[in-house]
Amino acid sequence: MSVSYEYYLVLSGLLMVIGLIGIIIRKNIIALLISTELMLNSVNIAFVAFDIKLQDVAGQVFVFFILTIAAAEAAIGLGLIMAIYRMKRDVDVTKISELKG
Amino acid sequence: MGILLSIVADLGVPNFYVLIPEIIVLTVALTILVLELFTKNKSLLSALSIFGLGLAAISVFFIQEGDKTLYGLYIVDTFSLWFKFLILITSITIFAVFNPYIDSKRSYYGEHYYLMLFSILGMMIMVSSPNLITMYMGLELMSISLYILVGLLKRDYKSKEGAFKYLIIGGAGTAIISYGIALIYGKTGTFDLIGIALKLQDNIDVGGIGGLVLLIVGLALKASAVPFHFWTPDAYEAAPTPITALMGGVAKLATYATIVRVTVDAFGGSSEVWAPAWAVLAAASMVVGNFIALRQKDVKRMLTYSSIAHTGYILAALASGNGVGFFAILFYAMVYVFMAIAGFLFLSAFERNEGWTNSVEDFKGLAKRHPIMALYMLILMFSMLGIPPTAGFMGKFGIFLSLISADVWWLTIVLVITSVISAGYYLRIVANMYMYEPISKAKFNLTQIEKAVIGFLSILTLLLGVYPAIFWEISNLLTNSLLMTAVAR
Repeated sequence: MSVSYEYYLVLSGLLMVIGLIGIIIRKNIIALLISTELMLNSVNIAFVAFDIKLQDVAGQVFVFFILTIAAAEAAIGLGLIMAIYRMKRDVDVTKISELKG
Repeated sequence: MGILLSIVADLGVPNFYVLIPEIIVLTVALTILVLELFTKNKSLLSALSIFGLGLAAISVFFIQEGDKTLYGLYIVDTFSLWFKFLILITSITIFAVFNPYIDSKRSYYGEHYYLMLFSILGMMIMVSSPNLITMYMGLELMSISLYILVGLLKRDYKSKEGAFKYLIIGGAGTAIISYGIALIYGKTGTFDLIGIALKLQDNIDVGGIGGLVLLIVGLALKASAVPFHFWTPDAYEAAPTPITALMGGVAKLATYATIVRVTVDAFGGSSEVWAPAWAVLAAASMVVGNFIALRQKDVKRMLTYSSIAHTGYILAALASGNGVGFFAILFYAMVYVFMAIAGFLFLSAFERNEGWTNSVEDFKGLAKRHPIMALYMLILMFSMLGIPPTAGFMGKFGIFLSLISADVWWLTIVLVITSVISAGYYLRIVANMYMYEPISKAKFNLTQIEKAVIGFLSILTLLLGVYPAIFWEISNLLTNSLLMTAVAR
């Protein structure tokens, strides 16, 4: 028995919204980075779900590109978190923010 | 090897000849990547970058137009070649003044040069993408290089914080764009822009609209349109000023070009969906950008908000949804890139000196101390404000015409009123420069190259306003080339 593709789409949409809410409400810079990664990876589920529907592989190729980009972004994000932590000894956005937005 | 040979025999070898500009930029970037490990010679690295960019810009003229290569993933038409040329030429001006700036900030990293080249390569890929995959990869190559570049200022906490904000919000934008692409792919089963247009035709349903709206939101975030502009002031202020010029000038140009290509080629038939969406984003950008810019004391932040407002002016032309609009957006984007780069490079040149804090007060009496530089700034401010005979006026005039031709009167009114409001902050700088006595007569220390580059860009801004015929013709040509591709489907 196979699960129809709509369920995967609902899951990916849910993860996307959770990631977006995370970016808006979380105050910890590591959690912010995780939320971004969650959003990017939820798209992968959507692509694979659409491939089930379309009986195609083009979407799965796109998944590889997104994985690469997510990895690059995680690498830069962690580097920046290290740099920020060295300078401020804190990971709370409300305490370390100097720019006024 | 047997498998590889049979694949090549099946598909044919892609035409690498038309990729020469990209290959040159990539080669130079990789050379510098290795070279900077062995040498600390900044002039060598910068000269090599400028040489590579110049060579690539010249090679653009020797490429045959209208070819699709890499199995339909890469298009080399008039549109992409011209924008490639413009991107390369304008980035040369940034490289030319880059070394004195990082010398004065004592913040040398060899990474600067190749990361800038990689982000320029990303922009070149963006503007020549007939396919959402290529567009996405180019956009990300550009953005990811820029995230790092923003953070590359030694012993400066703000730079790291700005880079992190840019990374998080830019990452969210990337995710939103890719979700939009996923929905469009799920609807049409293809990533090809023309293929999407063929599949959607004129009857776009809820899935297509959802994908299109997410794509618009993501691209608006990358182009820093209100209400997705939060990262812009922070990232622009925190970045080293030449990098701000790269982000606010060249990267914006590539983003606008991509926005135009994607909306026209893939969604040409559904302008009733995207025209109002862009109109709302444009109106919000104009109002918010101009009103917040009024309150800024720091000129770098002021120019940042002015760049948000200009995003509004430029995107407003998309609201008309017709050929005149595409013409106007291309013309304004092309002249805006010179103004924006010259404005930020002006700050970067003065910022190197003791006692210059980028504040509006610093401009007081500048006309007495540096008459020529003050004149350049006057031209730039008048051009951003849109006073004839500068290029900014011709750009706004084109957008005005396109909005009237499409009967979008409310947006026309917003455009005119916010332009008048913007006089408040542009003219404050001009007034400070010309109507006050300088506090000290001491001259600021500027290099000849900085003077030459800023002078070249501002005189070009003036010339394009007096004699806009060349750029009119080019915008016309590009619009035709775009619409031809869209119609030929």
